[in-house]
Amino acid sequence: MYISRREFIKLCTAMSGALGLNSSGLLKLQKVLASESATPVIWLQGQGCTGCSTSLLNSIYYMTVDDLLLHTIDLEFHATVMAGAGELAVSAAEDARVNEGYVLVVEGAIPTGENGRYCYLWPGMTALKAIKEFSKKAAFVLAVGTCAAYGGIAGGDPNPTGAIGVGDIVHGKQVINIPGCPAHPDWIVGTIAHLLINGQAPILDRYGRPKDYYQRTIHSNCPNKQRFHDKALFARELSETGCLSKLGCRGMWTGADCPVRKWNSGAEGEYGINWCIGGRSPCQGCTEPDFPDGKSPWYTLELA
Amino acid sequence: MTTIKIDPVTRIEGHLDIEVSIEVDGGVQRVVDAKSSATMFRGFEIMLKGRDPRDATIYTQRICGVCPISHAMASTLNLESAFGVQPPKNGRILRNLVLGANFIMSHILHFYHLAALDYINTEGVVDISPWIPRYVTPDMVTEGTAVALVGHYVQALEIRRKAHQMGAIFGAKLPCTSTFVPGGCTEVVTGEKVSDFSSLIGEIQGFIDGVYVPDVLTVAEVFSDYFSIGTGCGNMLAYGVFDLDNTQTSKLLPRGRYTDGNMEDVDPLEIAECVRYSRYVAEGGDLNPSVGITEPDIDKPGAYSWIKSPRYGGKVHEVGPLARIFVSYLAGEPTVKELVDDVLTHFGAQTDALFSVLGRHAARALECKFVADAMVDWLDELDPGQPVYEYSAIPEFATGMGLTEAPRGALGHWIEINESTISRYQVITPTAWNASPRDHFDQMGPIEQALVGTPVSDFEQPIEVLRVVHSFDPCIACAVHLITPEGKSLGRFRVS
Repeated sequence: MYISRREFIKLCTAMSGALGLNSSGLLKLQKVLASESATPVIWLQGQGCTGCSTSLLNSIYYMTVDDLLLHTIDLEFHATVMAGAGELAVSAAEDARVNEGYVLVVEGAIPTGENGRYCYLWPGMTALKAIKEFSKKAAFVLAVGTCAAYGGIAGGDPNPTGAIGVGDIVHGKQVINIPGCPAHPDWIVGTIAHLLINGQAPILDRYGRPKDYYQRTIHSNCPNKQRFHDKALFARELSETGCLSKLGCRGMWTGADCPVRKWNSGAEGEYGINWCIGGRSPCQGCTEPDFPDGKSPWYTLELA
Repeated sequence: MTTIKIDPVTRIEGHLDIEVSIEVDGGVQRVVDAKSSATMFRGFEIMLKGRDPRDATIYTQRICGVCPISHAMASTLNLESAFGVQPPKNGRILRNLVLGANFIMSHILHFYHLAALDYINTEGVVDISPWIPRYVTPDMVTEGTAVALVGHYVQALEIRRKAHQMGAIFGAKLPCTSTFVPGGCTEVVTGEKVSDFSSLIGEIQGFIDGVYVPDVLTVAEVFSDYFSIGTGCGNMLAYGVFDLDNTQTSKLLPRGRYTDGNMEDVDPLEIAECVRYSRYVAEGGDLNPSVGITEPDIDKPGAYSWIKSPRYGGKVHEVGPLARIFVSYLAGEPTVKELVDDVLTHFGAQTDALFSVLGRHAARALECKFVADAMVDWLDELDPGQPVYEYSAIPEFATGMGLTEAPRGALGHWIEINESTISRYQVITPTAWNASPRDHFDQMGPIEQALVGTPVSDFEQPIEVLRVVHSFDPCIACAVHLITPEGKSLGRFRVS
């Protein structure tokens, strides 16, 4: 007798009550009928603000986030968007890490103070413990955002919770850092795409960042360099045109392709519609390992 | 009695653990007790101490990546109050436009990508992660309605992306902006930028009016019992937002308070934070954000959350779109009154129906429309070529306060400047109000109160609990980061 997939699921769900299937069992049942061809991704959040995930949702240059989720990756766990909650959600994460080959993405820093108890992902699972355990069988580990990469804002002086980056916890395995505060969606999607296509990490710089996106300094690519900086045309006050280096710009010490890629693109294959310096605001150096403390104070305005 | 723990609560911002106790009452399984517990802590106040005051606008945005613009606004208002400077008209309007863009993004994200899955049976519509594993309950919409809502979910991804794109025209980049500064905005007004902004807001208005608001009403029609579920504490607080001039007294959504059935004024000095059930050392009773001592106490007996309990005049208050819309409604704002009355008439309901799960969703959608429509008018008020910024020096000694609203509710920043550096910086966020634990009078916080009385049919799939919690649009990174004042001695491991 033929029954539709839909009817099959309904039947199983109805039976699960009778058989006393718990959430893990229901999960296995549902997964049997799900797509198996996409690369599994487990996305864990430590001491983050969800800014990197919000930024990821703005992806369009390479592909939109619906293309990413529907056709490219199998997002097994992401607390901000996943349907299940509580034990059902935890079972999805635990199930996804049974077999090798998944991509582990971490957003947010990892506190080490008080044995990691400043951040729990779920009962009994501190962020610290989660990173150690979930990285074991990961094919790749991505630290998305400056907090996950280097401690970032969460590790700002005096770092009350002992927040550190993923690379300081995961040993014996390369961690790909995709810093930015938040990270640009293209840097995240482009790197994931590279992993899936090539089966290996892109070439990384000495801070573990993909050279394609972070190698050149903001200053070396800045449209204001020839036009203003090299002619000593400096903005003296915020909102004026001119080079922003007298107002606190960190572009000379910051690696990122923002001058070219810009932010908040409106179409596939098109670069963004604006960016910090384009908006006449000095670069804050948010992709660097010493952000925020080594890059602030961010304004030097006393010239006026 | 059965206890159900949902940890992690998903489809919110941040780390939240909800525990409910359920008993049978008149043949129905109902929540009789609830605990809202945040499980992550960073300590922004201690980090901000000693920094350049202007750095606060950049730093505090990272309290939350979903509502960073609200923190940027609160911070610049805070600094302007301390520095004694006001933005020129263009600067004020540009900041309102960027904030408005983020409000729209956040509300659309909330309804479709955070809340909607509580109401839709997605079987056969989308059967892959992250939409599985999922709860499937008999009351969820199916068939054509499910397909339509999932289609709108996908469309909403594009619209929220466009809302951020729109905000970046004057915000430089979103989620986190770099153009908000004390004294105004760094971006300038050009005809082209206004035109680009105008195109995008027009498209977004089409979605709000043609898809978002109707979808909320569709869900409300199917789940109309949720007009009497999740009532909450019944008191509302709004600082108000979107200044229409530089007097701070004229706002698109006004300041106001609804306490014990009466409309009242808001005096920030009446705000205090309890730590009775929060993981901080208690040094006394209610403490206003401007005084007091706070130290984390991770193993404090009886404490169950990293969130403190902000209270107004010792009473529990809810914040959020419902608070803003309700205050605006009672203040007689004609457009808001018409929007709200239309919805109430449609459902044959009285205003008390607003104090509910559906009331919150409806208020959020109506507010989204109200703000988007107002933004079109603000664009017209911009003057290309006119100033956007006024410089002011950092004072040596000063105090300041910035009160505004995040999409989730009332948001306040307070600063004390000593020798031109931050000596104290405090933040009370909306979710601190809403997701707070009990206070020292054992009054439950708004989400906890809203959960009491909620029927729960299936202990394995406590979807009703999620529906109540999600209606508040919680943001836990905001709720915990913070604050309260710091103590006097330096060099101690002190955080809030």
